[in-house]
Amino acid sequence: MTERERERRRRFDALFTSYSPDILAYCGWRAGSASDAQDAAADVFLTAWRRLDELPDGDAARVWLYATARRVIANQRRSSRRRVALYERLALDAATVARVPPSPNREEALVHEALRRLGSRDREILLLAEWEDLTPAQIAEVLGCLAMTARGRLHRARRRFRTAFEDLLARDDGGQPRREDSETSTTGYSVQPLP
Amino acid sequence: MKASESLQALRRANPRATAGYARSVDAAADALRAQLVTTSADVAVEVGAPGPRTRHPAPRRRLARAAAVASLAAVAATAAVLTLGSPGVGPGVANAAAAVRQAATVTAASAERSGTAVVRITHDGRAWAGTTIRWHGSDLAVSRDAPQRQAKAGSRMLLVDGTLYGIDPVDGGWVVLGNPQNIDPDSGTTPDEYLAAVREDVGGETLHRIVDGMTGLTTRQLGDGSTVYSGTVPAGLIARESGFKEGQPIRVLPFGYVAHDEAADPAAPLHAAVTVSAGGIVSEITITWGTGASAWRYTVAYSRLGATTAPAAPPDARPLRER
Repeated sequence: MTERERERRRRFDALFTSYSPDILAYCGWRAGSASDAQDAAADVFLTAWRRLDELPDGDAARVWLYATARRVIANQRRSSRRRVALYERLALDAATVARVPPSPNREEALVHEALRRLGSRDREILLLAEWEDLTPAQIAEVLGCLAMTARGRLHRARRRFRTAFEDLLARDDGGQPRREDSETSTTGYSVQPLP
Repeated sequence: MKASESLQALRRANPRATAGYARSVDAAADALRAQLVTTSADVAVEVGAPGPRTRHPAPRRRLARAAAVASLAAVAATAAVLTLGSPGVGPGVANAAAAVRQAATVTAASAERSGTAVVRITHDGRAWAGTTIRWHGSDLAVSRDAPQRQAKAGSRMLLVDGTLYGIDPVDGGWVVLGNPQNIDPDSGTTPDEYLAAVREDVGGETLHRIVDGMTGLTTRQLGDGSTVYSGTVPAGLIARESGFKEGQPIRVLPFGYVAHDEAADPAAPLHAAVTVSAGGIVSEITITWGTGASAWRYTVAYSRLGATTAPAAPPDARPLRER
């Protein structure tokens, strides 16, 4: 192995160690199933390995990984829509898994239900900010839009989340939050346990 | 309620805040690291997993050609054995080169009809991946031997009389997938492309390419009458470029495994050992590269060439939409 190859490997290892938890977590709430999440994360780092020389340094590399993960998962979704019958059935399975398991934490259950009621674009930008801790400028890079656009979308997503959450709180009777059947299979929202 | 209160609740619901998350993420990262090393085209065949896309413009035409020449080749191979004798007999490097090529010809001819290939990959001495392929004419049976792949989608495939059967990942039973040409996972290798590549590998073309490229040949006799021919082969003759992904070329070892490290560099010399049985048939190919913790060993063991029975369609296979 040449010195350059050793250096590449060192850089990749550092990247993997620093950011694989972030990317695994991100894929966990974006992908359709736990195995899809694992595959997506693997694909992200394979891409990173192949394009290591093009990767920016520092925190920009993290943003690059998020953007790549987003594209990989979008590809997965496109694929699953266009597969033949077996794959359609598996997509059905994914939708089944996508139901959020009952949470022992009441507040957490309400949060998940409120997230489910958001549109996918709102949910995505909100979670990139609140769970992935990205700034609006970084979110803009991930989504491929202007920072100003990201800021506006984030503001609106926060407002809608608050409305949904408060509505649920107001109707909360201490049991599991009510969920409309149609939403469970169409929102695509889930938080997958780590594989 | 203030906006900040709803956002605080949202932040508290972040899965990363849950107990045991750090431990889970460590385990997931380990699994991910392993997956990165073993990512292979068989994964690509599995639902949704992107992978290398191979291009085989006319697999059916090639199959027809292969079937047509199979019987002629078998006759020619038998004649070659009778005329030239066992390939391990001749002394000297020139004879060794001729002998191993002769063995490849004989093996390829036998392999055209039927056979069994067991593929094993180890990394740093540990098993990483494995597949067993049985073929008979146009029919194929492929099973992944790694324990973690049992009963998963893509863990077993059967192609019998032009119909592809797969494993239902829900209950592990067989399902009828239909004509493999109709299955397009969109990103990654289609089952049809994968099967076409396997046919090329079992059909002798791959074996010829490896043997023809071997240099620095040495021979070693084994107690059972087999001869091991060792030498170096440029990685490019073993791992073929099989399309592009993310703008980068992908190289795939025979039977569909993505090449890593030196094996992905077409100019890198890899150590190759071809074992020829006393009967003049190639029984095993071993390719090794890397050292220490980066040591890889890729082995293909051939058996029952020309004598492997045809796989049967699973009698309990269910139609895809039944459920």
